[in-house]
Amino acid sequence: MSALILLTVFGIIVLYLGFANNKTILAPVAITGLLITIFLSIKDWNLGSKYFHDMMIIDNFSIAFNVSMVIITILIFLFGVNYYKRMEHYVAEQYALMIFALTGAFLMTSFSNLIMLFLGIEILSIPLYILAGGKKTSFRSNEASFKYFLLGSFATAFFLFGIALVYGASATFYLPEIKTYIAQFNGQLPPMLMVGLLFILIGVSFKVAVAPFHFWSPDVYEGSPTLVTAFMATVVKTAGFAAFYRLLGMGLLPLPAPLEKTLWVMTMLSLLVGNLAALRQTNFKRLLAYSAIVNTGFMMLAMLSQHDSSASVLLYYTFVYSLATVPLFIIFIYMKRASSGLEELTIFRGLYKQKPWMAVFMTIFLMSLAGLPPTAGFLAKYRVFVLSISRGYLAISIFAIVMAIIGVYYYFYVLREAFSESDNPNPIEISRLNSALIVVCGVAVLLLGLFVWSVPI
Amino acid sequence: MILLIILLLPIVTGLFLLLLKNPATARIIALCSSIANLLITLGLISTVPSPSYSVNWNHFMGTQFSLGFDGISLIMLLLTNLLFPFIILSGFTRAHIKIPVLNFLILFTQSALIGVFLAQNAFLFYIFWELTLIPVYFILLLWGGENRKAITLKFFIYTLSGSLFLLFGIIYLFTLTPGMHTTDFSAFNQLHIPAATQTWLFWVLFVAFAIKMPVFPFHTWQPSTYTMASKQGVMILAGVLTKMGIYGALRFLFPIVPQGVLYWQNTVITLCLIGVIYASVIAFRQTNIKRLIAFSSMAHISLMAAAMFILNYYSIQGLLFQVISHGVTIVALFYVVHLIQERTGTLELPQMGGLKHVAPNLAILLLIIVLGSIALPLTAGFVGEFLIIAGLAKFSIWFAFLGGTTMILGAIYMLYAYQRIMLGDNNPTLIRVKDIRTLDFFILIPLITLILILGIYPQPIFNLVEESVKTMQNLLPVNEVVTLLTR
Repeated sequence: MSALILLTVFGIIVLYLGFANNKTILAPVAITGLLITIFLSIKDWNLGSKYFHDMMIIDNFSIAFNVSMVIITILIFLFGVNYYKRMEHYVAEQYALMIFALTGAFLMTSFSNLIMLFLGIEILSIPLYILAGGKKTSFRSNEASFKYFLLGSFATAFFLFGIALVYGASATFYLPEIKTYIAQFNGQLPPMLMVGLLFILIGVSFKVAVAPFHFWSPDVYEGSPTLVTAFMATVVKTAGFAAFYRLLGMGLLPLPAPLEKTLWVMTMLSLLVGNLAALRQTNFKRLLAYSAIVNTGFMMLAMLSQHDSSASVLLYYTFVYSLATVPLFIIFIYMKRASSGLEELTIFRGLYKQKPWMAVFMTIFLMSLAGLPPTAGFLAKYRVFVLSISRGYLAISIFAIVMAIIGVYYYFYVLREAFSESDNPNPIEISRLNSALIVVCGVAVLLLGLFVWSVPI
Repeated sequence: MILLIILLLPIVTGLFLLLLKNPATARIIALCSSIANLLITLGLISTVPSPSYSVNWNHFMGTQFSLGFDGISLIMLLLTNLLFPFIILSGFTRAHIKIPVLNFLILFTQSALIGVFLAQNAFLFYIFWELTLIPVYFILLLWGGENRKAITLKFFIYTLSGSLFLLFGIIYLFTLTPGMHTTDFSAFNQLHIPAATQTWLFWVLFVAFAIKMPVFPFHTWQPSTYTMASKQGVMILAGVLTKMGIYGALRFLFPIVPQGVLYWQNTVITLCLIGVIYASVIAFRQTNIKRLIAFSSMAHISLMAAAMFILNYYSIQGLLFQVISHGVTIVALFYVVHLIQERTGTLELPQMGGLKHVAPNLAILLLIIVLGSIALPLTAGFVGEFLIIAGLAKFSIWFAFLGGTTMILGAIYMLYAYQRIMLGDNNPTLIRVKDIRTLDFFILIPLITLILILGIYPQPIFNLVEESVKTMQNLLPVNEVVTLLTR
């Protein structure tokens, strides 16, 4: 709890530091705040404390996810130091809004009451609507913000309506109580409850961009400032999945058959639609957006193959995925700068020639996303498949494997652009700090893949 | 510990090379490292008891980092470490700036291959199996020929798709292991999988190996990749990477899904023999030498794959012998082809002819290699293919007849190609071509000597593998087979 309070306080401090008109102190203050947050979070390990009449339960699950999200946010901030230095506008808001979004994410990982989940989702989303429109003069950015806001509130309405229906049926917001209430029907749910649950699932699915509720994500990813996109693709996705898992694990599992089937179909649809669309993309940000949808499918697979270690696999998958995605976005920012603002896949040409080491690390990140050994991404996929196969979902696993093969095509399409000999006319300049960070991420991806396989939560 | 050294020596040397600025020294260091590896491997043969190395890697996932070997692994290990010095040596021609990177990639491949052959754990095996693909992909992408971008991607995805099914198979087997799940081969070998499961599991596992070898109809990546690949790339591909497929099949299929093997035996042998004939016939029509040899290699490998599935003592011994013999011959062949290309600037048969007038030494050396490749008696190729066809004859006389056509058809197209390259009137466009240099002698003479020695005195190789072949034969559940077939 102290972590959550501290995070909010630091968010406000950073916001007010904006008045100081000194951009250089913002990032250090924000990062210090996040580091202390990590420390305070870890102190609660194994305590399992409950707050607000049990509406919030901070257990190991939420702490693990919180820490993973904070680490990724720190990474984004560190990368952002250079990025925001170039922007003339007000930077304090960027940091503050991301921290506020993070507080929402904290609520999403630790709720045990539907109202708390709703609050978490809203606190996460509203800063994001603003962040997506961060480039005020850019048409695309405004479009992204507006689209995200409209569709997001639409999904929220569904979600709230679902909560209302479930409350109407069961007279409670508490997940454990809902669970016992559902259990008494033996799978034959009354229509009101069924519709309510369906609406809740739709609302959450929208947040994590599972097909067919994914249509917003490519446009929003493309239009938003790149760092915000990185934040959305990683931290927001992690938070969404933590919430999703908690919702299912604490309350709704075992799902009634129609709902479970719906979720399976959504999983397969995400894998398929994401992959097929990604094959046709020429814009890198859109490509990563679709790749995010595919990865969502894999995470769904891990989640739906209910097992003791599902949570640990999910944590590992989201973290590893984030660790590869963020640096890719950063490399993209530099390549975009070197090719006068283009976002096509072809801008990566000549990277190997000018910065061979950067190209090598890019290979590692892309390999990790594609799930090739010896990267952590391979292990993440391996563990997902171990889960799904050991639960006996053989056909779906084969389907997912075929999808993983298709994924290799577009990741390696980008890769071979980076290694093509045609030269980029402009020099690619990557700042020291960012080069070092990319190296750290790359080494982390390799080491995680070789040595760290799981966190017991 | 010694196994860890041969596993890591190449890659560590390779990483060191990246720090070097001088291309010439980088090559020499790479060569020394690969020769050291060869010497250690030769030392392994006589070490009793055979060393192994094992540490607990991840208890939770049941994964041991365990290395070890039997006769079959040893053959593969020997082949890998034998060929890599020559592959590195063949790059001693022109010094260019990227040589450290190239040699790093080659040594990386070597490490990964050694890992594949030493791994005693399926998970570890899979990691190394995939790992070979990465450096080879970059060797092909960065040093390949025409249209390499599209071809390498096809190669990569084609082979990877097979591997992912293998991964599925490994995970499935992992979930079947009793108690605390594990991916150790020893645990896999003791599984008693129901026959019905084995019939489909066979294909899940086999596809990866079939693509790697390649067996008809999984071969479509091969000709274009070989043709496009650079000298060293194609030597690695044809010399060693194809053998990975054979090794994988021997390691996985026979001990783990024996009933599946017997169930599909005829189908697979038929496919292999179709591949033999198909590749030989297509080889006839090729005008590009590299493509021609690519198809001829496919014909030979298909025959080896057929030998594997006959499962009798002769054929498996022949197969393992042929692994070495084919590896040595094909590397020598591709080396000479590249020599010819460097000299004449072309790979097209119609533009050649009369090369023996200007390059008599090259003509003689190529002749011996070609004869080795078409399995003339007293060359290594003869011993291997003779045993394989003897094995086929025991199984079915028709299969032996079809398999035997490789030798006849091979003789025809190889000699025909030889004739068009070397013989004929003095070709005015090739008048400036130089004969071979000292470096080429250093590469070709040892390889040719090996072809001849193994052809005359093959016994050492048989001694190496004898025990493993017998163990493999004992794995097959003969009684269960009979019930399976009569049902």
